[in-house]
Amino acid sequence: CYTCVVSLHSLRMSIKFPRSFRLLEELEEGQKGGGDGTVSWGLADDDDMTLTHWNGMIIGPAKTVYDGRIYSLKIDCGTRYPEHPPHVRFVNKINLTGVNSSNGVVDIKSVTALSRWKNSYNIRMVLQELRQHMMMKENNRLSQPPEGQVYSN
Amino acid sequence: IILSLIVHFHLFFLPLLQFKEEISRRFKAKQDQLVLIFAGKILKDGDSLSQHGIKDGLTVHLVIKTAHKAGDGGSTSASSSTSTQAGSTSTSSPPTNPSSTTGSTGSAPPPTQTPNILTGFGDLAGLAGLGMGSANFMELQQQMQRQLMSNPEMLSQIMENPLVQNMMSNPDLMRQMIMANPQMQQLMERNPEISHMLNNPELMRQTMELARNPAMMQEMMRNQDRALSNLESIPGGYNALRRMYTDIQEPMFSAAREQFGSNPFSALGGTSESGAQPSRTENREPLPNPWGPPNSSNPSESGAASTGSTSTTGGTNPSVSNPLGINPGSLGNGMFNSPGMQSLLQQISENPQLMQNMLSAPYMRSMMQSLAQNPELASQVLMNNPLFAGNPQLQEQFRAQLPIFLQQMQNPEALSVMTNPRAMQALMQIQQGLQTLQTEAPGLMPSLMTGGIPGIPTGGGLPAENPASSPSTAGANPAQQQLMQQMLQMFAGGGGGGSTPEVRFQSQLDQLNAMGFINREANLQALIATGGDINAAIERLLGSQPS
Repeated sequence: CYTCVVSLHSLRMSIKFPRSFRLLEELEEGQKGGGDGTVSWGLADDDDMTLTHWNGMIIGPAKTVYDGRIYSLKIDCGTRYPEHPPHVRFVNKINLTGVNSSNGVVDIKSVTALSRWKNSYNIRMVLQELRQHMMMKENNRLSQPPEGQVYSN
Repeated sequence: IILSLIVHFHLFFLPLLQFKEEISRRFKAKQDQLVLIFAGKILKDGDSLSQHGIKDGLTVHLVIKTAHKAGDGGSTSASSSTSTQAGSTSTSSPPTNPSSTTGSTGSAPPPTQTPNILTGFGDLAGLAGLGMGSANFMELQQQMQRQLMSNPEMLSQIMENPLVQNMMSNPDLMRQMIMANPQMQQLMERNPEISHMLNNPELMRQTMELARNPAMMQEMMRNQDRALSNLESIPGGYNALRRMYTDIQEPMFSAAREQFGSNPFSALGGTSESGAQPSRTENREPLPNPWGPPNSSNPSESGAASTGSTSTTGGTNPSVSNPLGINPGSLGNGMFNSPGMQSLLQQISENPQLMQNMLSAPYMRSMMQSLAQNPELASQVLMNNPLFAGNPQLQEQFRAQLPIFLQQMQNPEALSVMTNPRAMQALMQIQQGLQTLQTEAPGLMPSLMTGGIPGIPTGGGLPAENPASSPSTAGANPAQQQLMQQMLQMFAGGGGGGSTPEVRFQSQLDQLNAMGFINREANLQALIATGGDINAAIERLLGSQPS
């Protein structure tokens, strides 16, 4: 029966592929609008069977210089995710500590909440913590490049 | 329910623009202030919802950019979510369906109305479009959608229209109209279930009733939900089923964007006639079920093909960057690998008790039986599944695997194994061992994947040390044997081999055959046990024979 096939297969899959299962859960959550509506994430390419390349989006928090902006991010979950953090970079130009101003690459260690990465952290957290990071005093007044500019890579 | 199908049709064809039109009305914002986000991507005007894979029950985020920027600190991007639940509930009344409203920084617009709109236009557009003939279907559709978007009340008006009601009460007419739609025809070709549904006058009538009476539709949904909530008594079972249900929607839909035959709602229609419906699981029965028993008419061919395909898939060695070792066509597990499925699967795997509970549910049995009795259905579906379309080898492979599996399912022993939590745990341990094996010998994985599914129940029955017992449960079917051998090989810990035993030992098997050892099964076992050493295998074979 369908269920059985499904479940038995799952047995095997879950044991063998924790990374995929994790990412698949995250995919599902992203599609269902996990988080509080201020972040969004999903697979960059639906055919990406390795579940490596993700899009992320952060709504700039109110009462900061980022307000009104929607930031797009590229997130790569490598083979050692979630044991290792993903690689994150901004697509839209942003002036934010920890973000390389020439290519938008995020130094995840500079985001306090993510600096000690745990395998229970996920893409949603990355996005949410980055958003929180924007709200911090050191960041929320940094002058920003004009809206709409993107990094050239 | 048919209308639900059509709803999905329309929803998917709907350009984003109209969606935005409606939203702009609802939220009293200009269209260019609206930004729609789904799964981390911004939806551009030219895009369509289906293009982004937006399906029923998923959430699209809406951001309304206000004219005031952050400078004056005015209310800014209000972020809210609307769930695109189309067609699942009644159209004329504000739906009480739970939409995933999330907290927002600004106002909290009523998201429940948006799905209503979608539902509304969907249904109507479908109806009206059909009513006006198939010629200008698309334009008509668009027009109707537009109109509907601007006037949701129109739907209820139209529904009230005696003409429409008349039409709807005539199942034959409806059927004709539906079938006149080329897309529908295509759909029906691909999914015989729909035509079954359409051809069943009783069902049509009920569907018409339902469509005509949104309240009744809701009622039925509630019945479903009640039945489903019965399952809540099964610990964890409800959630799993629910997720399974949703998750199966996903792969179903993603199988082909325009293929709605696998719409779970078609199942609703199918079960409505049977009266009290215990659960949604059973509803999946009429669903085109690629995992059902395939056409068992040519097991030998499929057996041979499966061997071939196994070695083909075996060619995809997992690499560091590709830990799944997936070559996208390869694992007809395409479905299994779909996101939702996987998450469900994990959930189930984490809770072996769940398996037991699910299995012990009475409907399981009937479902299994009916699946077993309905091989044509599954084979057709199998053929139609686009995942398989490009990979006939895979189809064969699955055809081979599934009858085995199914037989095993019906084997009470196998069943009891699966309902036995301890046995399941033992299985998991075996799995873990396999995993270790895999890291040690990555080349094994393909054979693991392919042979795994049917092998597992047998694996449960055999403590991995007794190869002789498992083939007996499989029967004499050569395809089964081959897969069994694969399993055996894995369990016996044959390391390093990238191909399946039959392939590796093909020449030896031939030699043994030539020597007069015609029991292929025993030959293979012996070869496996001796690691391909013919002489040793012969000795084993001779030793096991009385004379």
